[in-house]
Amino acid sequence: MTPDSLTVVGGGAQARSRRGALGAFLGRYARRRDGMLGAVILAFFTVLAIAPELFVGPLETVVTATGGRLQPPSAEFPFGTDQVGRDVLNLTVHGARVSMVIGLLATVVTVVIGAVIGVVSGFVGGRLDGILMRITDFFLVLPTFVLALILTPIIQDLVGSSSREILGIRMTLIVIVVVIGITSWSSTARIIRGQTLSLRERAFVDRARVIGAGPGHIMVRHILPNVLNLIVANAVLVFAGAVLTETTLSFVGLGDPFQPSWGQLLDAAREAGAPGLLAWWDFVPPGLSIVLVVFAFTLVGGALDDLLNPRRRSRP
Amino acid sequence: MRGGYVLRRLGVAGATIVAIVLFNFVLFRLMPGSPERILLRGVPNVSAERLEATRQRWGLNDPVLPIVIDDGGPRLALENQLFKYLAATVGGDLGFSFVARGQEVTDVLAQRLWPTLLLFGLGELVAIVLGLALGAYSGWRRGGPIDYLGNGVSLFLYATPYFLLGMVLLLLGAAVGLPTFGMLTAGAVYADVWARLGDLGAHLVLPLATVSLGLVGQYAIVMRSSIMETLSEDYVTTARAMGLPDGRILRAHALPNALLPTVSLIAINLGYVIAGAVTVEVVFNWPGLGTLTVDALTARDYPVLQGVFLLLSITVVLGNLVADLVYGLLDPRVRT
Repeated sequence: MTPDSLTVVGGGAQARSRRGALGAFLGRYARRRDGMLGAVILAFFTVLAIAPELFVGPLETVVTATGGRLQPPSAEFPFGTDQVGRDVLNLTVHGARVSMVIGLLATVVTVVIGAVIGVVSGFVGGRLDGILMRITDFFLVLPTFVLALILTPIIQDLVGSSSREILGIRMTLIVIVVVIGITSWSSTARIIRGQTLSLRERAFVDRARVIGAGPGHIMVRHILPNVLNLIVANAVLVFAGAVLTETTLSFVGLGDPFQPSWGQLLDAAREAGAPGLLAWWDFVPPGLSIVLVVFAFTLVGGALDDLLNPRRRSRP
Repeated sequence: MRGGYVLRRLGVAGATIVAIVLFNFVLFRLMPGSPERILLRGVPNVSAERLEATRQRWGLNDPVLPIVIDDGGPRLALENQLFKYLAATVGGDLGFSFVARGQEVTDVLAQRLWPTLLLFGLGELVAIVLGLALGAYSGWRRGGPIDYLGNGVSLFLYATPYFLLGMVLLLLGAAVGLPTFGMLTAGAVYADVWARLGDLGAHLVLPLATVSLGLVGQYAIVMRSSIMETLSEDYVTTARAMGLPDGRILRAHALPNALLPTVSLIAINLGYVIAGAVTVEVVFNWPGLGTLTVDALTARDYPVLQGVFLLLSITVVLGNLVADLVYGLLDPRVRT
């Protein structure tokens, strides 16, 4: 809730004060040491994810593998090679793209479902609110990971041939995105609904109604901008969860070996018995990447939550 | 405890379980491939008569829902798949495994249940004792070296998937010669029951360490913040002003109240523990529900997957119910 949305101001003044608020916010964020550490780690992995070819060349496959089987790190292969002779550094950098893109898409799906249900439920209220919140509570109680574990193969089989692609992402992974979305929106919906309930009673919503705005217009133009900060803070934490869920689903064999994410690499390493063969280089690089990314998201999410959540902001 | 609180909790838990059972039915309908084809898997040259007989035998010609809408408008159908499914589920009949042919899903689940209970029961116990002790100590000596180190390690462990922790521990264990595969040495002959238990114990070390380490961080974090909150309460200041020794304040005044939030955490965690179970068991080939789930995933053994889902989600709901009731017993304020 920013003060400028309470008062009626001209478009230019509003934009100026928004920019000022953003600058002040960034200033406050920069002073958080934990948040900055997280942001730096995330920036590093984002760069890797955007252009993996630039750093390590095209993704190595079984056919193009250049090394021997499970070679320890050397000058030629700084991270060693895996069970079929592929360069682990190459796989880890390309894994960043798959893991981060799947995580990002799953976060978008989750947050959109959660935000729509939260805003509609909180704003419309009444019986619809009752029904939607019953469903939300049901999903909150369910062990959603177990549900994802069962939904993924069913939907993968329903969708059929996995060689099809959407936007360059293979169907197996698209299914994982959708499953993460439909199993993890419930806490977002709860948070957004809570904030919508308090916004609904504010004077500017009444004013909009008085001048003839319909419920759809009020939700999109007046409620949504004011819950946006909560959505952003929540999305960062959702992202961490989505990366972990994708990793775990891939680890139990539901990923796609042709577009290996970090979890898929760990699954392959486990199947090849790398830990028992003391081949630490086969699973530590992708594993450490997962830990760092989730850790960074937790740090950034915590910092954003402290700065943006209206219930926490008042705290000294 | 007031009866109304208990009844309401029981009602919510009951409604959730009914919803889970119905949800399971819907999942079954989504299952790809027609059921009669799956039932006749591996049978060569299936005739149309055989297919029809199978459909008849398994009630697949009956309507799916009790309400049928046809030319004559909606009407009630007593012979329907939903009612049959509900009756079978309530009677403990979860169908047959596709892979372990002829074996009932309930039998398959029962065989795999106790290794999981052993591993995760012990793991929870170790994690609760260690986590609460670590959390209480670091909250009490806030800002000390143990607090600093413990907090960092807790946050890092929180970001580590259980199975990754398991792979690292497996490597360390393999380096020092600990058993890393299964529950007992394959093909071993034991002199007596103690030798057998010893072998089981040796196999338990690594998975148990993984589970405990994976859980200990969360308990420590919650206990730490809980004890810090309690220490700022007026009655602790009063106790201090009365000249009570530090140890007495911690044990008699701060600890009992600080333990409250951890009770609900333990129950809420049950769901996450189950998710962890799946992957840790896979790393060490521990023959529990987790390995069963992954084997069933690979073979697309849907009846077993449905059984696992039903068993685990109902366990979680019951865990939450117990937590609510225990919490109500301990804290009079929530009983309204």
